Amino acid sequence: MTSNVRLLASASLLAVAALGANPAFAAGTASGTTITNNVSVAYKVDSIDQTASAASNDFKVDRKIIFTVAEDGSATTAVSPGSTVSVTTFVITNTSNATLDFSLTPSQLGSGSAGAHSNTDGYDVGNLAVYADTNNNNVYDAADTQTFVDALGPDSSVRVFIVGDTALGTANGSVAAVRLAAAAREGANDDLLGAALSQDNGANQEDAVDTVFADAGRDNSENALDDYTVSAASLTVVKTSTVISDPVNSSNYKMIPGAVVEYCITVANASGAATATNISISDAIPGNTTFVGSSVYLDGDASCQNGSNTADAPVAGTLTMPLSDIAGNATLSARFRVTVD
Amino acid sequence: MRSFLACIALFAPAAAMAAPDVTIDSTAFVERTIQDTSGKAKIVLEAPKVVTPGDRVIFVLTYRNGGSQPATGFVINNPLPAAVSYEGSEGAQPIVSVDGGKSWGALAALKIAQPDGSTRPATSADVTHLRWTFAAIAPGQTGKLSFRGVVK
Repeated sequence: MTSNVRLLASASLLAVAALGANPAFAAGTASGTTITNNVSVAYKVDSIDQTASAASNDFKVDRKIIFTVAEDGSATTAVSPGSTVSVTTFVITNTSNATLDFSLTPSQLGSGSAGAHSNTDGYDVGNLAVYADTNNNNVYDAADTQTFVDALGPDSSVRVFIVGDTALGTANGSVAAVRLAAAAREGANDDLLGAALSQDNGANQEDAVDTVFADAGRDNSENALDDYTVSAASLTVVKTSTVISDPVNSSNYKMIPGAVVEYCITVANASGAATATNISISDAIPGNTTFVGSSVYLDGDASCQNGSNTADAPVAGTLTMPLSDIAGNATLSARFRVTVD
Repeated sequence: MRSFLACIALFAPAAAMAAPDVTIDSTAFVERTIQDTSGKAKIVLEAPKVVTPGDRVIFVLTYRNGGSQPATGFVINNPLPAAVSYEGSEGAQPIVSVDGGKSWGALAALKIAQPDGSTRPATSADVTHLRWTFAAIAPGQTGKLSFRGVVK
């Protein structure tokens, strides 16, 4: 299956743009093309036209292997502890003058190595795997099952995904650096990885198509780094109680039967942490107290003020209070009242 | 590289009596920059055995009047191979065509029609044909012409 993203720059536009500079054609003339120069001469003898003489010579364009591997985008992949099949994306661009397959080799960097974003590798992902964007939709999905790139045409690019799992409990800010290495192979649109290429260094046969490695280092091997960074929520929960009123005193209320007590639960997410979602506070109503109906306030502030009043009530003695998402360095609170029996 | 000479033998009777044996040949070389033993870069010409897009190619045309009569109105036509972008000529400068051989002139005098109806000056990358014209080539006279291109 071919998956091509056509580069916008056409060869002819590039040729115009490259005037006066070093020639910068993209993939250029297809491998195996014969370039023939024809020349003819017309002339006269004693003012009489003579039949023209002509000559030509030709040579074949050889196969120039040149391609790049690059990280797609410029950001680390944020992962949560316990997340599976997290994706880092790379782009392989084939600027060779031939259709090629590419073998893909994912690897993890050793502990302490620098990742793609100046971070330091601190853990390895599990179930490391690599897949080509077989259905060419730029995102990793179930259809992307090929572990190599099949038949990438000249001046085309394809996305490649490295996927891996992050263990539960991995510390916030930990980095797993990964590398994608790619090598060009014989290209055929056959859903199979083609044979390895070798450069023709020796004497060349006339009219044969030779293979020339023109990638960086001229070694038919390119690679790029990317990384995963754990971005976990880091919640701190604090519960406080305040006596609001008692049946006897007008100030300095005491915890006597009939007193109203307000419990406040604050949930703080640490600075730099990932946004916490689906937060739910469960609180058992203390013994010897009675829940005050319609006393629940959700999404209050850090001072246990404001928020929205709800009619939530305890179920089997336990009050469940959902909170909205809490971003890093933010705090929400929930509060409710009881009376002392 | 393969090079062959094609002299067409179907001469008209009037011309056949006095036909000078004019021949022309085309050869091509690839220009490469290599490092010599002292590490200096130097440019060498090689036979075009390994040619990939971006390589500079020099075409050398050799003509000869092997007959006994002067050849007049001597016009050498060289359509540019489609996969080669013209980069200039050394020595005798040809007139060029940028429209497939319909009109001719010095490159600086030619224009390219744009899709919006305007024109722009033609550039060497637009060249499609080359033509050298000589008033007369004496018997026994030989000459070389060359032009450079880049494999697209």
